[in-house]
Amino acid sequence: MASEKSLAIVLRVVEFSETSCVVTLFSRDFGKIGVLAKGARRPKSPFEAALDLLAVCRIVFLRKSSDGLDLLTEAKLERRFRSASRDLGRLYCGYYLLELLRELTHQGDPHPDLFDLADHSLAAIDHGADLAPIVLWFEFAALRILGHAPRLDDCAECGGALPDLERIAFGQVAGGTLCQRCREGQRQIISVSREALCVLRKFNETSLEHGPPGLPDAVRGESRGLMQHYIAHLLGHRPRMHSYVATAAIRTAIRTGAVQVPGETSARGGGNSRPSSTP
Amino acid sequence: MTQLADSVVRMIDEFAKLPGIGRKSAERLAYHLLRIHKSEALALADAIRNVRENVHYCQTCFNLAESEQCGICLDPQRDPTQLCIVEQPRDLMALEQAGVFRGRYHVLLGRIAPLDGVGPEQLTIGQLVDRVAQGAIREIIMATNPTVEGDGTALFISNLLAEYPVTITRLARGITTGSILEHTNKEILADALVSRQKYA
Ligand SMILES: [Zn+2]
Ligand SMILES: [Zn+2]
Repeated sequence: MASEKSLAIVLRVVEFSETSCVVTLFSRDFGKIGVLAKGARRPKSPFEAALDLLAVCRIVFLRKSSDGLDLLTEAKLERRFRSASRDLGRLYCGYYLLELLRELTHQGDPHPDLFDLADHSLAAIDHGADLAPIVLWFEFAALRILGHAPRLDDCAECGGALPDLERIAFGQVAGGTLCQRCREGQRQIISVSREALCVLRKFNETSLEHGPPGLPDAVRGESRGLMQHYIAHLLGHRPRMHSYVATAAIRTAIRTGAVQVPGETSARGGGNSRPSSTP
Repeated sequence: MTQLADSVVRMIDEFAKLPGIGRKSAERLAYHLLRIHKSEALALADAIRNVRENVHYCQTCFNLAESEQCGICLDPQRDPTQLCIVEQPRDLMALEQAGVFRGRYHVLLGRIAPLDGVGPEQLTIGQLVDRVAQGAIREIIMATNPTVEGDGTALFISNLLAEYPVTITRLARGITTGSILEHTNKEILADALVSRQKYA
């Protein structure tokens, strides 16, 4: 059994026995891995506080030769996600990044650039960055790294020029904007304003070294709606955190009254709505 | 290999569903029960049946109880102005063993975990708000687990209760962050209760 080291983000912790956990990690060097953490639930755990959601830690694990779980032997906490006791909007955006990492990546498929992006984005979310641009920036960059970047400069079907109209069609199946001819007969079309499209192009092109470009309040709702539809289409289902993120990430826009998110009417968990029913 | 009787296979299957019991242990338990005296084995069956038929959640605080209310809710010595909020009955038991707290409890029966599809409406938060709205409670002590999800749950509840005239405190962080309340040393738990802090 080879001993491996990496930095990792904790994606999920499931109780396995009285004292052990199965932990899903997104590691910088080995991608998504599932490890058994023996003794993690004991008071004097060898992993201490490292194995909590959203934590970044330095891990050592033993690879199993068969397809059993790898065995975690060490986890040292590098950074804890502190917004959990301060700001639910930040916590829920952090959860959303975890959900995307869980669902968009495959077991054992390393993407160090995606790890660095996630690490940086989580730190920014935790430390007070404006949520809407950082979440949208993460989404675009993650899709690009994983080969799902939408095409926004010309027609995603034929490569032809886009029409000179106020609203352009975005085809979820085609994975990008569409010309007049190609939009005919296409299903799952979202109409996007020219203004929003300009901003989305900047997000689509921005390099990982630069932070997120500016995101004007007026296009926040529209950008969020488009991205959420596109991601739900890619995954084949709507991510659990979408309704929470729609609330948290466009809060500023809601305050200015400039917003309307398609299909996001029942957002909850923002902090002040009383739960309607209980078991 | 000889074919096991269907009923034995069924018992092994049931044991194997229990936490921490693998297939081998399940078989060992099943053979043990077949080997011991019939009355001994049936005593276990009776104990399980008795617990499941007679123990349920307290109608007030959702602790485990054998009548409509649990022993703590029925005890007139317990301070009705202090309410300690925990995730599970096992956390309540851990705090009781620390022996410091003389108020009452509210058991959430879980924590808010949106990634696992657990929202506030799956917990007993609505009933908690009803209790606070009745007006007797003056202080709320958040004793959810010191994990990201436990902290998030406590924050959600404290936001929800902000409009009521209650002081909200939470356990001091003597407890290792990211660990589990149930397994925390009772001395540390007692310290944490004594030095509880006002909610930020
Ligand atoms: Zn075309
Ligand atoms: Zn009770």
